[in-house]
Amino acid sequence: MNTYLLQLKRSPRAIAGLAILLIWIFAAIAGPSLLSYSYTEMDMNNQMVAPGQEGHLLGTDALGRDVFSRIIYGSRSILTIALLTSLLSSIAGIIIGFTAGYFGGIVDTIFLRIMDILMAIPPLVLAMVVLGILGNSTIVGLTIIVSIAFTPATARVARGALLTCKSTEYVDAARIRGESHIYIMFVEILPNTIGPVIVEITARFAYSIMMIASLGFLGVGLQPPTPDWGMMVIENKSLIRAAPWTVLYPSLAIASLVIAISLFSDFVSKVMINED
Amino acid sequence: MEFLKRFAKRLGFTLLTILAMSVLIFFLVEIMPGDVAQTVLGQSATEESVAALRDRMGLDDPLHERYLRWAGGFIRGDLGESLYMRGVQINTIFWRKVGHSVVLALTALLFYVPLSILFGVFAGVKEGKAPDAIISFVGLATMALPEFVSGIILITVFAVGLEILPIASIIPIGENLWQNLDILVLPALSITFVMFGYVSRMQRSSMVSVMKADYIRAAILKGMPRKYVIFRHALKNALLPTITIIGMNMGWLFGGLIVVETLFGFPGLGSLTMSAIKTRDIPLIEACVLFITFIFVFATFTTDMLYAFLNPRIRYKRGDA
Repeated sequence: MNTYLLQLKRSPRAIAGLAILLIWIFAAIAGPSLLSYSYTEMDMNNQMVAPGQEGHLLGTDALGRDVFSRIIYGSRSILTIALLTSLLSSIAGIIIGFTAGYFGGIVDTIFLRIMDILMAIPPLVLAMVVLGILGNSTIVGLTIIVSIAFTPATARVARGALLTCKSTEYVDAARIRGESHIYIMFVEILPNTIGPVIVEITARFAYSIMMIASLGFLGVGLQPPTPDWGMMVIENKSLIRAAPWTVLYPSLAIASLVIAISLFSDFVSKVMINED
Repeated sequence: MEFLKRFAKRLGFTLLTILAMSVLIFFLVEIMPGDVAQTVLGQSATEESVAALRDRMGLDDPLHERYLRWAGGFIRGDLGESLYMRGVQINTIFWRKVGHSVVLALTALLFYVPLSILFGVFAGVKEGKAPDAIISFVGLATMALPEFVSGIILITVFAVGLEILPIASIIPIGENLWQNLDILVLPALSITFVMFGYVSRMQRSSMVSVMKADYIRAAILKGMPRKYVIFRHALKNALLPTITIIGMNMGWLFGGLIVVETLFGFPGLGSLTMSAIKTRDIPLIEACVLFITFIFVFATFTTDMLYAFLNPRIRYKRGDA
């Protein structure tokens, strides 16, 4: 653990990424209770107030809602969904990918073909169509659908990781001891593939943010009045000349979050891969 | 021979994938809640007219018959009739939009391929030095941005700030795309933002490994001009992984087009797909999604073949041993 911290110290990029991520997590947890405006509070006397005026740090939108409050509230849903999807799709991927790789043969062949077929549709398109068809996305619905869209990719990574240590002596030893398949897969093999798995989860976290923001932007994400960063951008797009802050700040919020996570996940993958 | 075998095998699998996807898409759209005929006619429609429309559309036929009719039409090139725009054959609007998207995708390729290869080579040659660090940081950052975020930044700078490019990509009625080429620039740049990271990183890493090869060191030590060695010897060998990445991302690019086209209001396949979903226009959704899948699968197939063709180890597998 100490070596990780030491390596983190030497990587200013990773520190910056982690710091920004922690700020957003803090904003999501504690932010809303510190705000002076609610995200739904409309103030028709103060429409499109410029940033810094009338106590609105980042200005207000066309309905007089405080942009800063909406961004802070919006961080909650996007972080929650992204965290859940990256965990859920990774767990599903491990279960499916491990089963396929472990048993091999026909199971593996069928698995690979199905994954190839599912990967023939871009995850964003798949999620967009399903969410669009079902309508009225909720946090649960969004999490499940995005996780499903991601699972073919995570399953392939998990399968690859399992194959690297499937034919090792400790696996043979466990098999001879008469351990069950499930025990071998999850108690013997999983801890030894934890590096690639962690790399996958952190990278998946960045993808999830991108995906959820894009779905919100396309109007199939969370429904109003829940503030959603992607939705704020498309809602206010026509105001980009009159009130650019209503579009620009939510965009920058997304940018800062995804870039921060990418910087950190880039570091994680370097550390984990060098170690093996 | 080896090549032909691979070709046949991949082609067979590609066709199988498309078939499986068509089934998946068809059933996915079938589960759409609500009565289609009712949706089309509106809430005030009488029961008889709804029943008549259901009958005319063949909605009461068994599922497999409807699938076969739909898929059969697709193979014959008949995409069916739009639900939302009553009586409009999808064929009459679809291909023009696809054409626009293809032009946009090609413009984006024209921007990002040379740019990313050039910067990737530069970063690879300067491995570990300042230019490398800057290029890989920029790549990492832009790669992470959703297309609409980079689009908004570009709009703010070039359309609102400098006022040199249009804010939205709209073709005025009576004109065509060729008379409005400036509307392509910002959407194509938004895609370039995202793709630059992927391609330049790939180019950099393959360049780094090639530059360490003995034949490159030999060429440099022999006193050949460095530029010549980099572009004639090294790049030739370091391009293969880059080509693969570019090809593999072609289908992904079409997914990204949905976001970009929605942001700019660009009249292409992406915004058509989006409006089909919003208006619950089932035949149009099916046509759009199946077509995107088709491009994705076909791009993967072509890349695979191109890779096999360009890689002598696969092309001449017989003589390899």
